[in-house]
Amino acid sequence: MIEAYFIHLLILIGIYLILAISLQISMGFTGMLNLGHIAFFAIGAYTSALLTLNGFPFWFAFLSAGILAMIFGYILSLPIKKLKGDYLALATMGFSFVIYAILLNWTELTRGSLGIPGISKPSLLGFNFSSNFTFLILTFIICVICYFLIRRITHSPFGKVLESIRDDELASKTLGKNTSKAKSLSLMISAFFAGLAGSLYAHYITYIDPSSFTIMALIPVLCIVIIGGLASLRGTFIATIIIVLLPEPLRFIGFPSSIIGPMRQIIYALLLIIILLYKPKGIYGKVEIE
Amino acid sequence: MSLFNQLLINGIIAGAIYALVASGFSLIYNACKFIHFAHGAVVAFSAYIAYYFFSTLNINFGFSVLFALIFACLLGWAMNHFVYKKFRERKASNSILLIASFGLLILIESLILILFGADVKTINYIEVAKGIEIFGAIITPLQILIVVSSAVIFIGLFLFMKKTKLGKAMRAVSNNKDVAEIVGINSETIYSWSFIIGSLIAGIAGILIGLEQNLEPTMGTSLIIKGFTAAIIGGIGNVYGAIIGALLLGLAENFGIWYLPSGYKDAIAFIILFIFLLFKPKGLFGTKREGDKE
Repeated sequence: MIEAYFIHLLILIGIYLILAISLQISMGFTGMLNLGHIAFFAIGAYTSALLTLNGFPFWFAFLSAGILAMIFGYILSLPIKKLKGDYLALATMGFSFVIYAILLNWTELTRGSLGIPGISKPSLLGFNFSSNFTFLILTFIICVICYFLIRRITHSPFGKVLESIRDDELASKTLGKNTSKAKSLSLMISAFFAGLAGSLYAHYITYIDPSSFTIMALIPVLCIVIIGGLASLRGTFIATIIIVLLPEPLRFIGFPSSIIGPMRQIIYALLLIIILLYKPKGIYGKVEIE
Repeated sequence: MSLFNQLLINGIIAGAIYALVASGFSLIYNACKFIHFAHGAVVAFSAYIAYYFFSTLNINFGFSVLFALIFACLLGWAMNHFVYKKFRERKASNSILLIASFGLLILIESLILILFGADVKTINYIEVAKGIEIFGAIITPLQILIVVSSAVIFIGLFLFMKKTKLGKAMRAVSNNKDVAEIVGINSETIYSWSFIIGSLIAGIAGILIGLEQNLEPTMGTSLIIKGFTAAIIGGIGNVYGAIIGALLLGLAENFGIWYLPSGYKDAIAFIILFIFLLFKPKGLFGTKREGDKE
């Protein structure tokens, strides 16, 4: 029993880690206050679930999840090019509400609030990841690949351009960098990995409905990014473990499950406010949110 | 024609409710210059407090309303005093304040969920009366009450801002904080007052909404979305603009569902928000924001 519980926690840590480091690309490295990240996660989850239910293989659904999220990242990047700070936050948040409204109301495709049950566990090259332990291995492999890909991207010259946009966009422009193209690319890459995380989530939980992708779901991810520190992948890794494990003791105290959900949100929200107040750079962060 | 009239009246009622949320939000933005998301939570919480005193403890309706309004003011004041003030002391940026207020919104909504449960509540003070027919459209007495009381509050707010010393001091801080401080206005006091007055309006909004619709723990989020969309349409930081923006939003939503399924009502608000952020970020009546770089 206890092993199954640990495996479950480790899988969650893996999925949240991919989601959080993908948010680091747009928010941490490029400095865009992106509050719409959960929408890309949702797009990934729905794409992957719907494709596999219609008979497509897992690898295809998994990659399509990332690519479709990336396309939406591009679409979102067009209108928000010139926005900054709190206006950018409102616009990206607005995007996630529009996606949520579509998931809830396009019932022919998404079944609306009924959700999509019976999403198959992934199988790859004839191997079936149906047990939680094998799923953990799959998550672990995907997580490691994503982590190093993102590390590679953010440490490349392109990553440095992104950081220069965060620190001083005008200076970056003066040096001849096409900042609006770089920002758009950053949002697309960020969305791509969020879509992959969404696909993993859908195939792990095997049931998705729009309520998993509200703005409430963004709070833990935002917490991870801020506690870990902007633009710090190592900090993100540590913060993911903290954030996923922190509310777990609530289960053992014996609260009813209707209380545990809101209690968890309260813990995250308090933690977010306290960190912003007393340690706004997070554990390993170098910069503050502007 | 009767459908048109009905949508028009529905739009005005929705607009009146949004305007109450938006004007309080805009008042606070005016003074403090950051987006106070948790304003929506004040609306929701005061509605629940009114529900608790009236429907659970069976206290006289007048007293229930009074308690709920006092509670709203206290909640707004406390958020400013114990959270935002600390952030200002360490010179946090607007974006940090925005995330913190988002955290507060989630915090209070979760608290409501724990205290009152997820099931839908209603304040049954005014019984659902048969609507009155005006030009082929139906309007209930309660809805007339909402529109009238909003109008009274806006006139009161207008006189308050124009005539009273506190209102003038608020406008001074909003225009230029440093100059206002030189002439001896304590900006922290003004911040506190704008939170108290803004939250009072939010409390009134909460109770009126609670009478008209069902109470849900997450109602604050959807209301604050309408509130700031209205504020941006009207020009953020312009209280009167916010009221007009709210009416336009209410009308747009209600006429929008002529073409779209009603589930997309919330999305309409956001599409309008997008259009304004893109093409007219200063809104219809807005002035240049302090801290705008370009």
